[in-house]
Amino acid sequence: MASPKELSGPAGNTVIGPSILINGRLTGDEDLTVRGRVEGELALTRTLIVEPSGVVKANVSVKNAVVSGVVVGNIAATESVELTRDGRMVGDIRSPRVIIVDGASFRGRVDMGELAPGRPLPDRPRAQVRPAVRAALPAARPPAVPPRPPARSTLPSFASSRPSEVGKAPPAPPPVPPTVAAGAKKKVVVKKKR
Amino acid sequence: MANTVIGSSLIIDGEISGDEDLVIQGTVKGKISLKESLFVESSGVVEADIETQNVEIAGRVTGNIAATDKVELKSDCRVVGDIKAPRILIADGASFKGNVDMDVKG
Repeated sequence: MASPKELSGPAGNTVIGPSILINGRLTGDEDLTVRGRVEGELALTRTLIVEPSGVVKANVSVKNAVVSGVVVGNIAATESVELTRDGRMVGDIRSPRVIIVDGASFRGRVDMGELAPGRPLPDRPRAQVRPAVRAALPAARPPAVPPRPPARSTLPSFASSRPSEVGKAPPAPPPVPPTVAAGAKKKVVVKKKR
Repeated sequence: MANTVIGSSLIIDGEISGDEDLVIQGTVKGKISLKESLFVESSGVVEADIETQNVEIAGRVTGNIAATDKVELKSDCRVVGDIKAPRILIADGASFKGNVDMDVKG
């Protein structure tokens, strides 16, 4: 059998093993990994990780939560909540950042907080991410290039009227109405992010 | 065997049960029942009744301890409560107050 020193691992990390059931109130200032069951109430100032074998039936209040197992109860996070592809959750989420990936199952409400004070911080990273994805997209899908099109969409029409320009103009992209294209692209962007 | 560690900043108020080893560096109040070993490290504080197979205590325990195999009180521990187990070891330097019962269980 390993000694307690070997078992404890890095300081400030708590693990609830798969055969352990904790019933009651759990509070702490360190990361918590749940592979077993926790029922009652759970309050941490750091990150809760519910692994695929983990079951949490509790009202949870943490900084970050990553759910790959089962959570029944409400989660209030000061920073983020992420449901991974193995995560299953029933309950309400209150957090400025909520990430639900493909494959996760969730029933409940999501509250990302007030628009005014909550937005400025989360928006900046998104604003940086979106243009990057947009820039990458046209390369993958040449037809959908509407950021430039205002200028270019006029070109093909020129091209069709003036044969001399045909050489310059690429095979005329389907003239998609810019508004529709922008909408479609936003959807694509959202999927790419996940 | 998977292991469970209750870290030093963690406080659990309630009941812990399970079939695996448990290491306590934090605080547990309530009740602990395990089928394996319990380690209360020097930073650990337990105010609970304990039922396990083995217990090793280097921290503080207040409560009654019933072990099916062995209870070991290490040199820096402080234990208040009754201990019932077939084998009980108390190291030099340990402080303990309570009853000891070594009746062998059937």
